[in-house]
Amino acid sequence: MTTNGGFEPVFCTVVPPHVLDKLARNDDPALSGPAQRTLMRDSELRGRRRVTTEFGLAAAPTAKAPSEQPLRTIYDAEHKTDLPGTKVRAEGTDPGQDATVNRAYSGLGATFELYLKAYQRHSIDGDGLPLDATVHFDENYNNAFWNGEQMVFGDGDGEIFLDFTIPIDVIGHELTHGVTQHTANLTYYGQPGALNESMSDVFGSLIKQYTLGQTAAEADWLIGAGLLAPSVSGKALRSMKEPGSAYDDDVLGKDPQPATMDDYVRTGRDNGGVHINSGIPNHAFFLAATALGGYAWEKAGQIWYDVLTGGELSDRAFFTDFAKLTAAAAKARFGEGGEELQAVEKAWEQVGVQIL
Amino acid sequence: MRIQVRRTGGFAGIERHAEVDTSGRPDAHEWQALAEKALAAGRGVRPIGVPDGFSYEITVDGKTVYAADPRLTEEQRKLISRVLKEGA
Repeated sequence: MTTNGGFEPVFCTVVPPHVLDKLARNDDPALSGPAQRTLMRDSELRGRRRVTTEFGLAAAPTAKAPSEQPLRTIYDAEHKTDLPGTKVRAEGTDPGQDATVNRAYSGLGATFELYLKAYQRHSIDGDGLPLDATVHFDENYNNAFWNGEQMVFGDGDGEIFLDFTIPIDVIGHELTHGVTQHTANLTYYGQPGALNESMSDVFGSLIKQYTLGQTAAEADWLIGAGLLAPSVSGKALRSMKEPGSAYDDDVLGKDPQPATMDDYVRTGRDNGGVHINSGIPNHAFFLAATALGGYAWEKAGQIWYDVLTGGELSDRAFFTDFAKLTAAAAKARFGEGGEELQAVEKAWEQVGVQIL
Repeated sequence: MRIQVRRTGGFAGIERHAEVDTSGRPDAHEWQALAEKALAAGRGVRPIGVPDGFSYEITVDGKTVYAADPRLTEEQRKLISRVLKEGA
């Protein structure tokens, strides 16, 4: 499965784009509907702007408004690796005995809630995508990931990592990989890959802050707090406030994240250091959010969300491309003379990313 | 036979490495059969994989192949977990 897997072509993809364009404008909805949907799917890789403006899809009377409620299903892999596994909890059912299942269910709900309430986004794809998660994947599995269609959580080995459903920001992080896949679709390698990772940390942290009702000043800005076993010397896996300070342990080593471009790490491993260099845009977000104060999802989060979903961000974007777009988005949403633009520009300057 | 496994990526982005030398081991034959199957199903280039998925390098007597979660064969998964668990 590739990172953009999970798209079912609505129309055969061998239909040339100019033909689809013509079909999409046809007066007969039987012809225009499928063509518009195909264009929409394609355009999701770059954002929805072009199709919605040209064909007015957002206001199409035939389009059914997606639900204001999540549609969650939790599966249990029973320590094997077949996905999705056995269905153990459906939407609207009461909590069961398994705390891992219940945490996954709540975390999916919290993620749905932030995207809907703060950004009017209906689920991961903006169109009510059902949220599926598999827990108890494999044995002693020290990881969680988004496979292009659903979330997968390991239980951890109990020695280094505990259950990956424990931190709510980890759940938000994984689901945000889905949001990115359906919007800017940042390539999972090098700088665009580190931006992809940073989007997941930013919105993962915002989901935690929203759930706890914390302001930027009150938040811990940690990713994966509560995930490390008690014997490990560390407080979390990453720190947006102080990248590089999350852990320093005999077994795990030291948190390798840089906070600024001066310490940018060049490596071929970890898809070109996607979990390492994400510290730089993470820290820029922290700086902008704390400078603005209040609830981070309202201003800084809105600016970052506008860039991720606005259709201008290339799937191969570098930090500087992203940074420039955040300045443009701050200006577009809050005005040229506003403190928002100033905070965003200063944040990027502090981490050494050029935007001028 | 010298079997090395390197795991990179994952949500934590923490790398792990271990190796097993099968010479002189009573279960050497079993290791070799497993390693050959894992190698045969491996890829010559590093797959991009899925966000936060683990990425693996399996090296057997100097020959390296690549694999990534969640697309591992049964033998690859077994070999990787045995080497990371029992290897040094």
